[in-house]
This record gives sequence, C-alpha cells and structure tokens, in this order.
Amino acid sequence: MKPIATTRSATGVPTGRLAVWWLLASEVVIFGGLLGSYLMMRLGHPEWADAAMHTNTWIGATNTFVLLTSSFTAVLAHQAAEKGDGKKAAGLLVLTIGGALTFLAIKSFEWYTEISHGYTITANNFWSFYYTAAGLHALHVIAGAIIMGFVAWDAFRGRELQRVELIGIYWHFVDVVWIFLFPLLYIAK
Amino acid sequence: MSEENQNQGDDGPHDGGHQVNYAKIYVTLLILFAISVLGPFIGEITGITLITLITAFGIAFVKANLVIQNFMHLRWEKKIMKWVLMASLVVMALFVAGVAPDVYNHEGNNWENLAAKAAVARGIPGGEHDAEEEHEEEEPAVEVVSAGFNAAGSYAMICAACHGATGSGDGAAGVLLDPSPANFTDPTFWPTRDDARIKTVIRDGGVAVGASALMAPWGALYDDEQLDAMVEYVKLFNPGGE
Repeated sequence: MKPIATTRSATGVPTGRLAVWWLLASEVVIFGGLLGSYLMMRLGHPEWADAAMHTNTWIGATNTFVLLTSSFTAVLAHQAAEKGDGKKAAGLLVLTIGGALTFLAIKSFEWYTEISHGYTITANNFWSFYYTAAGLHALHVIAGAIIMGFVAWDAFRGRELQRVELIGIYWHFVDVVWIFLFPLLYIAK
Repeated sequence: MSEENQNQGDDGPHDGGHQVNYAKIYVTLLILFAISVLGPFIGEITGITLITLITAFGIAFVKANLVIQNFMHLRWEKKIMKWVLMASLVVMALFVAGVAPDVYNHEGNNWENLAAKAAVARGIPGGEHDAEEEHEEEEPAVEVVSAGFNAAGSYAMICAACHGATGSGDGAAGVLLDPSPANFTDPTFWPTRDDARIKTVIRDGGVAVGASALMAPWGALYDDEQLDAMVEYVKLFNPGGE
C-alpha cells in the first residue's frame, strides 16, 4: 500500500512532480542568486577579466556538449517509461549516468590543472565564484547521478516508472544551470 | 539513431499526448551550442564584441527555453507550476535589482567602497601600483614561493604539472597541450637554449621568445635571484649537462 500522498493530487499535478517543481523553484533562487551576484561583481570589477582569461573554453564546451547529450538521453528515457518500457528507460538512464560521470571526470581534470597552477578557491574573488558556482553545480550532478541509479534500478524491474520523468525534470534543470554557467565562466572573457 | 528517435518523437499519443520531436530539439541545441562557442571568434575577427554577448547570453536563454519547454515539458504543465517558478524568478530578480547598484558602483552619495576600488586599481595593468601587487591577488603561490623558496619545491609545485616531475614534458596537465611542453631530458633541446632565454621564458612566458603561448609567464612569482635559481634547477635535467 502506497502512502496517500503518492496518489493524492489536489493541484491536478501528480504529487511527485509537484514536489520536483517546488524543489526546482527553490533551486532557481539558489543558483539565480549566486549567478546574479557573480554578474554584479563581474560588471563592477573589470580586473576579473584577467583571471577569467585562464579558464579553458574547450573543456567548458566539451562539458556543455556532454550535459546536453545526457539531457537528450534522459528525455528519451522518460519517453520509454511513458510507453511502459522500463528496461529501455533504465538503459537510457544508465547512459545519462554515464554522461554525468564523464562530466565529472572532465571537471576533475580541469580543476586539477587549475589548482596545480595556483588558481585555487582563495586565489581571488573570481576563482572563489568559479569554484563555488561550478562546485555547487557539480554536487547537483553527483546527487542526480546517484538518484538516477536508484530510479534506473526500479525502472529495470518495471516499478515506479513515473519516477523516470521526475529525475529527468531535475536533470534538465542541472543542464539549464550549466547552460548559463558556460557563457558566464568560459565565454565572456 | 536519429531516424529511430525521430519516429519515436513523432509517436505523440503514447507520449503523454506531447508531440515533441526530441531528436530535432537536440540537434537544434547542438547547433546553438556551436554558435555560442564560435561567437567569440566571430566577435574578434569583426571587432564587434556585442556579437559575443549575443551569441553567449542570448543563445543561453534560447537553449534554456528549449530545454525547459520541451524536455521538462513545462509547456504542458499546469498553470500553477508556471506561477511557482515565475514567483521564484521574481524573488531572484528583486534581489539582484536591489543589490546590483551597490555592488556595481563603488561609491554613492554617502558611501565609498574603498576595498573594491583598491582591488580594481591593483588589477588594472598600467596603473600606479606595481605588478607584484596585482599578481598577489591572482596567484596565491606568490606567498608560498617567497616564504620559503627552494627551486626544487617550486618546480614540483608550479612546473611539474606540465613539464613532468622528471622534466620529460609528460606532466598530466600537459598531455593535451599542443605543442607539448618542453622535454628537458631531450639532448636536442639544449643546444638552442642559453640561460638568458630560459630565464626570459620563465619570467615572461613562451610568447616572449616567439614560442608557445601555452607556457605561461611566471615572473610575478619570482624575484631575479629566484629566477636564476629556477634556471639552474631546470638545467639539471639536461642529460648532457655537467
């Protein structure tokens, strides 16, 4: 017997999905505040351009491509789940997790290079923002990958297929955050 | 792959009633992504920096919108969800709008942000302040190096990432660099190098001698004496050296 909240839906939106949107609404404020602060400081401090020059556009671009692709596999997983094909949904979710791991591997390499050159989180305000924003985003990638693992496990057995959509919505949001981080940290120099 | 997905995408009625061609959205996203990466180059060639701003941030909004509407299915979501998200965005916008004037400006009618002004003055080259100070902000290694300088430690911390711990140019961070970092253990490397050139490269970067710009200038980290010590240390890798 499932908890009553699983099936009750006063808003006309399934409870799980409602919860995910609420979560994302709070995330909008968290990331929005962080990126907004970055933008304000960046505009007020032209000297940050000096530090921003050292971020690696190609690594950022590769990671953008990886996340966009993982979003694509996540939405295909949702599509498969809608059709009741749990096995296919699970497979596509595993591909999405692969995207998350690739993203994290590239990020580790990138940070290793930067830190070994002395560009650490305490180097100056630019690097503080850089590591805080990208770090908070990376934590979301890690959390998403772990949750996706559980959802894929269930989906493979044909259980709780509605969750494939829920983790997908979250994952696309993580992608959207990166879509803004990419030009902010890597392109606008 | 794309044809298969296309068929799935067109298969609307099974997909919660949503007629979305996901493959098409994905390809559109990739094209937009390519343009945003190329933007700065176009901006540089044409000299119009506005192009970079539009391709970077304008496209980010378009991409985000495509993902939110089509992948997250916000288009078909109940109105209440759109209102909830909109409320979040408004709160964020209020925060930014309220704080921005104080952060962006460094002085107002009754106040002055001295720390911010000093940071800008330090950071903008060509000012009265010397370069040492500018780099102190940027590169924390300055303190570490000058506090207890020794060439071997400094090499391990700064140079080895690319040039490798053994000087053979095989550091992890240098793997992807093109051209590859200099291999100090290669005997053919040394005949064309003298102390002055090595010192210049360490201090002012590869560009100073017409070599690769990927060799960064490290002059801010070392004083003249320390630079000489670094040159002597690097020379130890020369297999033909004494």
